[in-house]
Formats: sequence, structure tokens, C-alpha cells
Amino acid sequence: MDAIINLANNSIEFFKTVVEFAPKFIPGVILTLQLAFFSIILGMIIGLVVAVLKLTKYKWLKKIMNVYITIVRGTPLLLQLYFIFYGLPSLGIMIDSFPSAIIALALHNGAYISEIFRGSIESIDYGQREAARSLGMTKWQAMKRVVLPQAFKRSVPALGNQFIIAVKDSSLASVITITETMLLARQFGAATFNVFPIYFTAGVYYLIITMGLTKILSMVEQKLKVNER
Amino acid sequence: MSMIEIKNLHKYFGELEVLRGIDLTVDESEVVCLIGSSGSGKSTLLRCINFLEEKNEGEIYIDGQLVTSKDINNIRQKVGMVFQRFNLFPHMTVIQNVMEGPITVKKMAKKEARDLAMALLEKVNLLDKADEYPAMLSGGQQQRVAIARSLAMEPKVILFDEPTSALDPELVGEVLGVMNDLAKEGRTMIIVTHEMGFAKEVADRVIFIHDGQIAEEGTPEDIFDRPENERLQNFLGQILV
Ligand SMILES: Nc1ncnc2c1ncn2[C@@H]1O[C@H](COP(=O)(O)OP(=O)(O)OP(=O)(O)O)[C@@H](O)[C@H]1O
Ligand SMILES: [Mg+2]
Repeated sequence: MDAIINLANNSIEFFKTVVEFAPKFIPGVILTLQLAFFSIILGMIIGLVVAVLKLTKYKWLKKIMNVYITIVRGTPLLLQLYFIFYGLPSLGIMIDSFPSAIIALALHNGAYISEIFRGSIESIDYGQREAARSLGMTKWQAMKRVVLPQAFKRSVPALGNQFIIAVKDSSLASVITITETMLLARQFGAATFNVFPIYFTAGVYYLIITMGLTKILSMVEQKLKVNER
Repeated sequence: MSMIEIKNLHKYFGELEVLRGIDLTVDESEVVCLIGSSGSGKSTLLRCINFLEEKNEGEIYIDGQLVTSKDINNIRQKVGMVFQRFNLFPHMTVIQNVMEGPITVKKMAKKEARDLAMALLEKVNLLDKADEYPAMLSGGQQQRVAIARSLAMEPKVILFDEPTSALDPELVGEVLGVMNDLAKEGRTMIIVTHEMGFAKEVADRVIFIHDGQIAEEGTPEDIFDRPENERLQNFLGQILV
């Protein structure tokens, strides 16, 4: 009997804490959304540029892009964040914490997204390029009008995956003093000694964001399916 | 007047010499059919003419002009190509496929390109499919769209690489019908085909390619009724039986 009463009390206490702290998370959640949004948009631009540059005939460009991808994929994101925020100042380059986080996250996403784009560009039937070229299009016109639209469509599922990773990875920005969702959670936890409901609340916010993103992406995917049998 | 003139064309893939000195002249309004067994170099010859493959040796003149790799984009506007597997752009509707060349390459106004595309779709009898996507069309319909797409650039020559080989037998006729109309209009065409009946009917000249060389050429009657070359006799024997 005591155990049940205890459990009920604990549950009430738990939800009271959740309700109390949920609104206090809003500024952190907004930061999380901003970090994710800008790092995804910039990451897409970087990814597209890198993927296209890798397809040009210049071998040295391809090499540089491969070095970039190797470094980003071969080192922890945590280290990349430290490098830009704490490392670069020793070279005389000072960047504020928020732009530092955006740069690090965007470069990180960009490397993965470029590989996604490259894969889907390569998956487009070579006959498509030949048909475009035989109409008299330049290589770039064929890329822009024929290959990229099809490749982009094929990238959507993998991009969605990467976007979700980007949302979760943005939590690492907390290590360079950005008070996004996870850093707030740590601060609230330390102040109240009541970590469980607080981390629970943070988790719910992440789930809301990632589930919303999944929903949007599956709508985009449906929309793009119109011209398939 | 000669529309295409090819002199001593050689093409290698690595060690393999696929074209071994082709000399070929095609006159304006002439319809030339290329026949020959698999691997003899027919596709490679067509692809060299519009530089989808880079030749190793020899000269190609189109409309009197020597083609160099610098002006291939201009040359390709003069040389249309229809592929075995259609290669329509799947993300564009039928009419967008036909408008794409004029708009992107010739910078034609949308309205004008649309009118042109409508006229061409009417010609290939597909006006009612203008707003469908290629995936909704049969193979024969797709190939007719591909022909309209290449006509939209108003090419001087159209190259066809086995345009009916990927089609179900009952769809072959509609594509050959369109090609027959083009021949009657006086279009210059080079056609790689295994449809000997069609070659007999539309070709002004038939060329038998063997092992990267022109082994025999002549009128359809010469080639089909009085073949001289032993390889050609064998080839026809295999096909017509
Ligand atoms: N891109 C390539 N790389 C290497 N070899 C090639 C390439 N394209 C064609 N070949 C070779 O060149 C030869 C001629 O090929 P081609 O496609 O021109 O023959 P074809 O006469 O069109 O035959 P088919 O009737 O089967 O289409 C073949 O031996 C083929 O294997
Ligand atoms: Mg072939």
C-alpha cells in the first residue's frame, strides 16, 4: 500500500516538475532550432558545392574536397567545435560562440550531405546526361536542368536522416557555452537536484522536433512522387 | 550537297580498335541505314558523329564545317539523336521534355517553345499526352516523344540508334511510321536498325558495317537482293531466316 502511495506521490511530483520547467526550456529549444536550421541550410549549400566540384575535371579540386570530407568524417564533432571556438583564437581568429557553432555544425553536415548528393548524382542513368548533351546543352546546363533535379529527389530520404542527426548533434554546441536545450537541462538539473523530470522534458522537446521534421520530409517525398508510376 | 562527311575515322577503346577507317558521306535529305552484327561499331560510329565519344583520328564535317571539340555544343544543336532507351527526362512532363532544348539551349521564349512543342507533339500524334509524365507512357509513345524532343532543336541531321529495339513488337510500327514521315519530309537521317523491312522501304542507301569498317554499301536492292560480301550474306542469312 505504502509503495503505491509513494509511487503516486512521486509521479505527481514528477509531472509538477515537468510542467514547471517545460516553459523554461523554450529559449534553449529556440536556440536548438536555430542551430539545426542554419547548419542544415548551410550544410546543404556546402554539400551541393562540394559534390559538384568533385565532378569537375580538375583533379586538385577533387583532392581538396576529399581531404575536407576525410577530416570531418574522421574526427569527432566535439573536437571540431573545440577547434573552431578554442583553437582558432590561438591563430588570431576569434569567432563568437554562436557563429562558431554554426560554422562547425555546417561544415560537419556539409561533408555528409556532399556524400549523399554525390551518391545520388552518380546513380542517375548516364543516358540522361547524354540525352541532354545531345540537345546541345553544356555540361553545366545538363547538370542543372537534368541531373541535379533527379538526384535531389533521390537524396530526400537520406537527407532526412542527416537532418535528424543534425538536430541531435546541435546539442554538442553546449560545450562551447551555447545555452541550447541540453545545456539548460544540465543547469536546471544542477540547480534542483531533480534530474529525471528535467532530462525527460528535454527529451520530449527533441522528439517533437525530430518527429515534426520526419513528417515534413515524408510530405515532401510524397509530393515529389507525382511523376512516378 | 553533302550534309555529313566523315574521313578516315578511327576510334579505339583502350587497345581495341572499334572503328578502323570509316569514310562516309551523307547528302542532304538522304536516309542512310546502318546494319551489321552486334559489336561491329554501329553505335560507336553514331556516337562519334555527335561527339558523345571522342574520335581518335579522322575528320568530321557537318554542313560543310569541320568539327572540333571546341564547338561541340553548336554541332550537337545541328545533330539530333534518338536513343534505344529513349532517355526522356523523367522529372519533366512530355511537353516540357520537348520544350527543354529550345528554352535552355536556344533561349527561346516559353510561349514560342510551347507552340513549337505542341506542333511537334501533334506531328507524332501525342498531343493528348502533353501534360503526362514519361513514366505514364508506353515505350512506343516515349520514343515518339524523344523524336519530337530532338526535332524541336531543328537539327540538320537526326541519328537513330536502334530506336525500336527496346519496344514490344506491337509498338514498333508506330515509331517506324513517324520515322517514315520524317524521311518523306526530306529529313537527313542516319539510322542503325535491325528492322530490315523498314530499311528496305525508307533507306536511300544501306551500309553494312563489319568489324569497324564499311564492308559493303549500296541501294536497299543491292544490299538485300544482291549482296556480294560473304559476311553480309551470312549476316542476312541469320537475320532473315
Ligand atoms: N565505352 C566503351 N568502352 C569500351 N568498349 C566499348 C565501349 N563502347 C563500346 N565498346 C566496344 O566497342 C565495340 C563496338 O561497340 P558498338 O556499341 O559500337 O557496337 P554495335 O555495332 O552498336 O553493336 P550492337 O548491335 O550490339 O548495338 C564492342 O566490342 C564494344 O564492346
Ligand atoms: Mg549499338
